Amino acid sequence: MHPHPAIQVDHLRFRYDKATDDVLDDISFSVEPREKLGVLGPNGGGKSTLLKLLLGLLPVSRGQILIFGKPPQYARREGLIGYLPQKIEAELSAPLSVRQVIAMPIKVAGQPTPEDDQHLRSMLDLFELSSLADKPICALSGGQLQRVMIARALARRPKILILDEPTVGIDIRGQQQFASLLNSLHESLNLTLVIVSHELRTIVTGSTRIACLARTMHFHGSASGLTTSILEQVFRHDVSGIIPADDSTPPDHNCGGCCADH
Amino acid sequence: MRTIEYLTDPALASFFWPVLLTTLVIAILGGSMSWIVVVKRLSFIGQGVSHSAFGGVGIALVVGFTSGSLLGELATATIVLAFSLLAAFGIALLSGRLSARSDTAIGIVLSVAMATGFLLYSLAESIAAQSSAPPPQSLESILFGSVTQIDTFDLILALCALAIVIATLWMRRHRVLFWMFDEAAAPAFGVQVTRERMVVLALLALVVVVTMKLAGVVLATAVLVLPGAIALRLSQQLRPVLCISVLSSVACAIIGLILAFELDTQPGPTIVLTLGALFGATWLPRLQHRSTTASSAPSSQS
Repeated sequence: MHPHPAIQVDHLRFRYDKATDDVLDDISFSVEPREKLGVLGPNGGGKSTLLKLLLGLLPVSRGQILIFGKPPQYARREGLIGYLPQKIEAELSAPLSVRQVIAMPIKVAGQPTPEDDQHLRSMLDLFELSSLADKPICALSGGQLQRVMIARALARRPKILILDEPTVGIDIRGQQQFASLLNSLHESLNLTLVIVSHELRTIVTGSTRIACLARTMHFHGSASGLTTSILEQVFRHDVSGIIPADDSTPPDHNCGGCCADH
Repeated sequence: MRTIEYLTDPALASFFWPVLLTTLVIAILGGSMSWIVVVKRLSFIGQGVSHSAFGGVGIALVVGFTSGSLLGELATATIVLAFSLLAAFGIALLSGRLSARSDTAIGIVLSVAMATGFLLYSLAESIAAQSSAPPPQSLESILFGSVTQIDTFDLILALCALAIVIATLWMRRHRVLFWMFDEAAAPAFGVQVTRERMVVLALLALVVVVTMKLAGVVLATAVLVLPGAIALRLSQQLRPVLCISVLSSVACAIIGLILAFELDTQPGPTIVLTLGALFGATWLPRLQHRSTTASSAPSSQS
């Protein structure tokens, strides 16, 4: 058992330069190794800021964040965190092969070792990309490209994988496939997952613990504790009217649909 | 053939060999950077930087540096490089920090620098007229290049630039590639995107300065755009793209230079047109394919 939580956030406050209000106000939570945390909240609720702070891209000025007992910048340098961005904004006209894209984080970190090469091959196999390894990145479909991006996020064998709005723009079937892919990754690679989304379905189906964030932490616990009133508090309007019922979600909370309309 | 005569006649060779070698080095420089410029859509920034270099030329002329002495050449190159770097970083700063769109930022920097250049050029002309000093080099040669201005100093400058560009790109290749491919996600993987952008813009400014005498401030961008555009039309693999970019640039430089010697035209524009023609030629197979498909369609229906 690891002596430290995977993520420990204590009394975190954050305010951007020249802003008058805190974007995050006194946030505290922890995530144990191999847990699946879903961070749910409306647009502008501070999810992206929290994500940037966890990735060490913004300085923590008040409060504390520790990743396996170390500061986020150290964790990023050591490759403890993998990251899947919200949108694929890559220059697909770049003359790069699938293999070269997946290997990028390893090469940026330093000279690849034989273990890195072995891991790269296993990633290609795991994501069914071996036959596409030498294909140019512009020749891939949207689904293949997303698999490449997840493989790239896992290239340095991170212990934590952070996914930013991973199912935006994906249909229900695609979301289900994505959820099962995440589950198998979670099992096979012993990953701690942090899924940031405003889509309730993604969070409920993909997480063992949920954090509802709208500047402050409104809820932190298992999906069974999440009530409609908490969601209404977070999203600041009546959610039951716009969320369709779904058998796969807690029956008393009626939160199986998605809140993409927010 | 005039080309053979130019390169073998002892009286002419001392002038034409530096021109040929400098052109080849510039071609390699352009080919090495060009595919990055095209993929990262920096063509307009390159245009902005090269036009802005005119402001630096204007300052050098007013200060009185001429291309006659080694010191004057060095001082001019330093001022133009400094001005180009300032323009490149100014564009980056305006685009990022002040939330201006990058095309707006380029438009602002380009027009201000060009206007400065023209005013300073006029000032240098009147200073030269009043002091009976030789007039500054022609406006046309600044804008469109003139091989008569190229000498051994320019060859040395181009070789130094080549060493800097190749060494920098090689040492930072993984970071530059990551930045080029996915600037939005790169910071999460430890790539400092602002630094990589500045490095590439600085290299761009250096190539522009070296290219100016050959192609002028107006055409300097062409050697930074066309070879990469040609290469990316023909391949989507990294090594072939790099090779095609450099080879097409060198081939067009040689062909353009020979054409210029034989047809007695300006080498800079002739090389640019040769590159343009090669780029056009890369579309021929697709056009041919389309016309074949179009002509076979009615017969297959019937």
